[in-house]
Amino acid sequence: MDTYYFTEMPYAAFPESEADKFPSMRLTFPNTYFDPNTAHDLFKRYLDEFQFAEETGFDGLMINEHHNTPSCMDVEVNITGGILARVTSTAKILMLGNMLPTSDNPVRLAEEIAMLDVISGGRIISGFVRGIGVESWANNSNPVYNRERFEECHDLIIKTWTTPGPFRWEGKHYQYRAVNPWMLPIQQPHPPVWVPGTGSPETVEWAAHNHYTYAAFLTELTVAKELFQNYRTIAAADGWEPGPDKFAFMICCHVNETDEKAQETGKAFMWRMGHPLRGPKEYFAPPGYFSQAGTAANARRRSRPLNAMSYQELQDDYHLVVGSPETVTKKLRHIKDELGIGALLLEAQGGPMSHEDTMRSLKLLGTEVIPALRD
Amino acid sequence: MAATFTEEFVEVAGSKIHVMKGGSGDPLLVLHGAGGNPGWIRYAQALADKYTVYIPSHPGYGQSERPDWLETMNDMACFYTWFMEKQGLDGARAIGFSMGGWLAAEIAVACQHSFSKLMLVDAAGIKPETGEITDIFIISPAQIQELLFYDPKQAPEYEQLYGQEQTPEQQQAAELNREMAVRICWKPYMHDRRLPALLGRVTIPTQIVWGRQDQLVPVECAELFKNAIPGSKLSIIDNCGHLPQIEKPDEFIKIALDFMA
Repeated sequence: MDTYYFTEMPYAAFPESEADKFPSMRLTFPNTYFDPNTAHDLFKRYLDEFQFAEETGFDGLMINEHHNTPSCMDVEVNITGGILARVTSTAKILMLGNMLPTSDNPVRLAEEIAMLDVISGGRIISGFVRGIGVESWANNSNPVYNRERFEECHDLIIKTWTTPGPFRWEGKHYQYRAVNPWMLPIQQPHPPVWVPGTGSPETVEWAAHNHYTYAAFLTELTVAKELFQNYRTIAAADGWEPGPDKFAFMICCHVNETDEKAQETGKAFMWRMGHPLRGPKEYFAPPGYFSQAGTAANARRRSRPLNAMSYQELQDDYHLVVGSPETVTKKLRHIKDELGIGALLLEAQGGPMSHEDTMRSLKLLGTEVIPALRD
Repeated sequence: MAATFTEEFVEVAGSKIHVMKGGSGDPLLVLHGAGGNPGWIRYAQALADKYTVYIPSHPGYGQSERPDWLETMNDMACFYTWFMEKQGLDGARAIGFSMGGWLAAEIAVACQHSFSKLMLVDAAGIKPETGEITDIFIISPAQIQELLFYDPKQAPEYEQLYGQEQTPEQQQAAELNREMAVRICWKPYMHDRRLPALLGRVTIPTQIVWGRQDQLVPVECAELFKNAIPGSKLSIIDNCGHLPQIEKPDEFIKIALDFMA
């Protein structure tokens, strides 16, 4: 099982109570709270932490992208991907991922990801995402067409990587006269494709049909199990059997020298589990974004939203694993055994967690927990 | 005045369209707003005393099917010229409410002969110069409901239309209506930049009606429509929100019947 380090590169340098004054910390939270010089320092720090994660033993580094939110300063996964491609040398770079439906230029995306694969020497994992509902607003991309644009954008990117150019593309949402980018990926036939999900049945089905790795994000273990089982059932119907490499699971994780210390420093994750998940229903589920089946599945699965759960409840449900190296090893092993996953994605920096606490946690994870999980 | 209407499905462009129909006399086509077809209510019955009133649910709304290709307001206008042709409604009188007013305006600019008289009520379709059309997609149905009226107490049918909590089935139907509105009105939101220029072509008698306190489509749009459509008349109803036909039905019905006569 590979272990990945992930941070959303949050900007928590303002009083958290300010968020209470607005409907959400996303989309419409005013950017007057943003200070670019503070962000400059944060980027330096976060990129150092990514480098250190590679040095200390993580197999991969995961980056993501959001818009209009202090919870994630990464606004372009291919920019951070480019930096990591150059400042690291062995870790896989998991971009989870490029938002396909909001892109108006899939060929440009195909070029950019190919260029990253070339610069990194074939270390790119190309995650493709629909973008949460907020991204439809922030990018003014019609949510009704989110899934069809996702699928057509994907089809065109894969064809761009695998079919000798030039060729023409006359699709519903995208049209090109001469698809023929000079830049093509090192990995053949193309970089691995991963897709994240929290429950939409269509996403699991689509991932299984395409043999892509499905990454369950902050779901309960029982839900992840159900989603993975759906994947296996669809794969079986298609006549193939997925190995552990087709399943990934993302949680928050923090290690300190003792359980007591970890419980204290790990509280920083409550920032991430709070305001960034709060907001009007329409922000997260614009009309048409979820299919009727997806809405029904979500309603059935999530008994309580994460931001209504206590620190202890989040830990009880394995959304957040906090403790000494021994405690965390035991819990992560439980997750690994329960889910049969090939990749564990650890969000090991969150909210206002300090550089010092992050570095100590990364070191303990890299030198004690990850080796123990390999046994 | 008993409600007397029938319901039927008619096939247009391979899709089944739900139509409410009642009354007698010359045909009068009613085009509903983004929220969907509110049904056969007081104003419809009053108009049906003089006219044969047709209230279709737009493609993708309520029980009406949507042809796969229908994705824009212009597609919708094209669809409706087909519908009117099949129903023998060419040259009918027409009323368009809100988004349905935008639709009626698009039909009129596409085909001058579609209507003999046109009434636009708190119509979307033209971008305000100073204000904004309220984004109804990013707010909740309850918030929209609050913005619809100047004073809900003066709407005699308020209780009947909004008084009861929706069943899960009604909620789902409302969500699907909203999804259809998103499909055709997302961007540019609720307007078409060409429309003011193209409305210069419309020479049929046109009556514009607006609630002065409309909180969804600002009353300045009433003037913009009036300036765009040669010879059009404007009636602004005081102390009234986005739905004059429901909030001030008697005033609305009088204006409508006077104009349609």
